[in-house]
Amino acid sequence: MLKLPGSQINAGASLVKKWWQSFCRFLFPSETDTWLAALRIGLGLQVVVYALFLRSDWHYLFASSGKGLVGREIGEGITSFDSPFIPTLGWLVAIGRNFNISEEAVLSVTWVCLLSAGCLLSLGLFCRAAAIVAWLVHLCAAESGGLLAYGADSLMTTALFYLMLSPLPDRYSFDHWVAKTKPRNPQALGFWRRVLQVHLCFVYFIGGLAKCLGNGWWDGSNLWRSLIRPPFTFVPPDVLIRFRYVLPLLGISICLLEVSYPIFIWIRKTRVIWLVCIVAMHAAIGLLMGLYLFALVMIVMNIAAFGVVSNTATPQTATESGAH
Amino acid sequence: MYWRQIHWAWFGIHFFLLTAVCFAGIFWLIAQGSTILPSASDEYARDAELAATWCLGKEAEASNPLRRGIAMYLHAAGIQAGYTFFAPNVPNQHRLTFELFYDDGRVEHQSPQVLSKAAALRLDTLLDKLADERYEAVREVLVKMLAFSVWRQHQDVKKVRATFGSVNPPDIDEFEQGKRETFQPMFSFDFSLRDDQDQ
Repeated sequence: MLKLPGSQINAGASLVKKWWQSFCRFLFPSETDTWLAALRIGLGLQVVVYALFLRSDWHYLFASSGKGLVGREIGEGITSFDSPFIPTLGWLVAIGRNFNISEEAVLSVTWVCLLSAGCLLSLGLFCRAAAIVAWLVHLCAAESGGLLAYGADSLMTTALFYLMLSPLPDRYSFDHWVAKTKPRNPQALGFWRRVLQVHLCFVYFIGGLAKCLGNGWWDGSNLWRSLIRPPFTFVPPDVLIRFRYVLPLLGISICLLEVSYPIFIWIRKTRVIWLVCIVAMHAAIGLLMGLYLFALVMIVMNIAAFGVVSNTATPQTATESGAH
Repeated sequence: MYWRQIHWAWFGIHFFLLTAVCFAGIFWLIAQGSTILPSASDEYARDAELAATWCLGKEAEASNPLRRGIAMYLHAAGIQAGYTFFAPNVPNQHRLTFELFYDDGRVEHQSPQVLSKAAALRLDTLLDKLADERYEAVREVLVKMLAFSVWRQHQDVKKVRATFGSVNPPDIDEFEQGKRETFQPMFSFDFSLRDDQDQ
């Protein structure tokens, strides 16, 4: 029987211990709450813009069958097939019915709640409650209008989900000034920033990988198709034809930029370049394709995750705030 | 006391689920044969997709509490779908037009209407989903609802014919030669006030 000498077992155990410690250091770095303030303010604005953009169509998109565009019930039916426990606007309407409140009134109140939550988040008033309300109402709307939802909605849900769980309030919020709340655990702040950072790496790696698998991104035809595709026709085709030889280069650059994001965004020397390129890409998507909500949520998430300078909290601060 | 353990356990579960969702999406694209990979990989991709969806509990019965729990969490966290936007290729646009037949023999053409650009973008998303075979079961109902939304504004209409199709844009060379987008009908429905008939 093969016997491992004690020294080898010890070496193996210390290697595992070392690996585990470095993983913990990676997962729980000490951070200040500047990034959280950026995320809170950015998402607050995002929620406000979302509510204002849909102001005129809110009832039409989310009313029940016979009153709205397609009726909320179909989207809610598809959602409830996945799980009946996923919140929808139908829940809120049902609650309102118990108090003799009409569907129109419930939808109006819901919209006002969403707008107010966005404003409160931006200002930093009642941060936690506002984050929970914004997440819940947006989730209900996204699920009820599931057939009308696109990428920006799921990313917004994710960002609000992380914000809601993060250690709010931050020191730039009104809550902190008014209630003089204690500084948050720097390692908890570091953990939630890591979550956001790792999530973005997934978003870009998977998005880049999927694009690399399509031939249209290598020859630029996908950029042409996406820019002349109604309702995204913000650039006249004649202008695009003038830059036709740039399109393949741009297409390949987008693929490489996205797929290599999880590597170069972590390297200190390349972080700024990748961040600037990604933000520029999203700004271009917003301006040239009219996908403002998608562009804004991605820019906010990127800036909060990698753009805000990491002022590592001192161990003294950690002890003071009662870490662990 | 267990603050760290709880956090890293959640981190592990959360990103395990996200990995499964993302790769299920990638493998689905490959299995559909819509990528540049050779067709021999389609079958492996189907198996891999199955494995990924199994991790998400989707192979269990619809009433399975674990499946429902995972689905609820995925939706709550906004990670129920992968991030394959505009990939592997930009899909064709889709169009739905209604022919409105009046009693006096007049015929008008109209599309579903919304007020804002933000809602128009969502309407386009809905039309793209109508073309997807995964939504085939609700296709007729959705078109009927959209037809009804138009009928509410033109209540003297006797019959509505809905035609749905794909809009194929020209490539750059074709555009330079003067070719413009072409419309390829996919299906149509006739709706009247009393009965509906699929054509």
